[in-house]
Amino acid sequence: MPAQGNTEQVEIVVENVTMRFRRAKDEASSLKELLLRKLRGEHRYEMFTALDNISFCVEKGEVVGIIGTNGSGKSTLLKIISGALIPTRGQVFVDRRKVQLLTLGTGFDPELTGRENVYLNGAMIGYTKKYIDEKFEDIVRFAELEGFMEEKVRNYSSGMVSRLGFAIATARDTPEILILDEVLSVGDMFFRKKSEARIREMIHGGSTVLIVSHSTSTIRQNCTKVIWIEKGRLMGSGDPGQICGAYEKLKGG
Amino acid sequence: MRDVQQRRQFAFVVRQLTAREIKRKYARSYLGIVWSVLNPLLSMAVLSLIFSQLFRRSIENYPIYYLTGYILWQTFTGATTAAMTTLADNKMLLLKVKFPMDLFILTRVYTALINLGYSLVAYVLMLAVFQVTPKWTMLFSPVIILCLIVFSLGISYMLATAYVFFGDIKHLYSVVLTLWMYCSAIFYPVEQLQGLIRVVIWNNPLYTYIHCLRKAVMYGALPDAVELLQMVLWAAAVYGLGYGIFRRCRSRILQKI
Repeated sequence: MPAQGNTEQVEIVVENVTMRFRRAKDEASSLKELLLRKLRGEHRYEMFTALDNISFCVEKGEVVGIIGTNGSGKSTLLKIISGALIPTRGQVFVDRRKVQLLTLGTGFDPELTGRENVYLNGAMIGYTKKYIDEKFEDIVRFAELEGFMEEKVRNYSSGMVSRLGFAIATARDTPEILILDEVLSVGDMFFRKKSEARIREMIHGGSTVLIVSHSTSTIRQNCTKVIWIEKGRLMGSGDPGQICGAYEKLKGG
Repeated sequence: MRDVQQRRQFAFVVRQLTAREIKRKYARSYLGIVWSVLNPLLSMAVLSLIFSQLFRRSIENYPIYYLTGYILWQTFTGATTAAMTTLADNKMLLLKVKFPMDLFILTRVYTALINLGYSLVAYVLMLAVFQVTPKWTMLFSPVIILCLIVFSLGISYMLATAYVFFGDIKHLYSVVLTLWMYCSAIFYPVEQLQGLIRVVIWNNPLYTYIHCLRKAVMYGALPDAVELLQMVLWAAAVYGLGYGIFRRCRSRILQKI
């Protein structure tokens, strides 16, 4: 059960979270259809349970990996933690101002230049203009994109885009809670090393990190704890080696 | 303190998003933003060519009469049609960012306001060309524009909410806009109309905005009490209603998207 006593240590508490979507069997996407259905008195939808009674807590400074096959509810869980979705049942206790969600390529506009995208993206994840002005050089240097900033992002390679995204999101001194959605396995070998180093830096700086990944090797290398979700159910949590092993076995068999 | 900071951050986000909208709109054209100035001018030239003879008796200075209506109308349609699809367009972002999704709607309306700013360059230029003498009543224009923007914002909230649930709204709205345009007396004199259509036009808030701006700019008159009340009440009522609907549906919008 989530510890109530030492709240200073516990950073994220997810308590009995259930998320249901009402999914129409075949959607009335037009007004005409909807009216017709209302007239006939048809209500055809089914409940789809994306997350089923999930509970866990994350302590300050922990690096938690979340694994699970595609469509198992990992992204939904992240959206609930970051506050974008409100769960059908259950609660999440977390200071949302501290949370920083990092996903790839979202918020990048291909028609804008690299520089413009840094400002746009930075603004959206909560940096002030002054802060971006200060950090701009660092971001560019870390992303190894010197000389490309006046170029449109349309002309970037996918690796360049993800490097820039990573650099912007981690430019903040130490985001207290960092959520990484499939971002550690990007870029070439060298950049991957560098980004992992930066993540480790943040961990030492006291950040709490949530990592979502398909790659169990990434998880094994970086995490102190693993949470495994399958089809909306919590399959297990605990030691990375053990859980990843069980996960791999299921996938293999 | 925290609130002020947050507001400032939101304003920064809106400015950045607006900059993106504008840059994107003209991303592949040479003249770029100049089109925002050129468009009203060209449209004015075309309409004047065709109609200024026809309406010579009832409208003095037809180009300005038309241009006044046109820029306000464009601001309204530009804001509402763009805002309608904004939640769907920014679907990916919406679930990942931490700021309220109102900002996306505000952005599209603000973009239309910026565009109006550019159109006003053309407008002022034409006022000079057609020798409209400056009048102190012109100072009242910002109030009219403010009312128009608030009104547009209200409609935008409604449309954006509706669009999430029914894509058809988009097509329906374009038909409504055509009808609405003909009922706003943008390019013809309203005096010649009789009966029902005249009543409709007089009670059309957009016509009121256009009419008041014409009065202030061309005829040196302020809106009378009824008109002023009409402008403010329409704006306030539509905004209140639109925002209310949007707020009530907020969580359902997120689920649907």
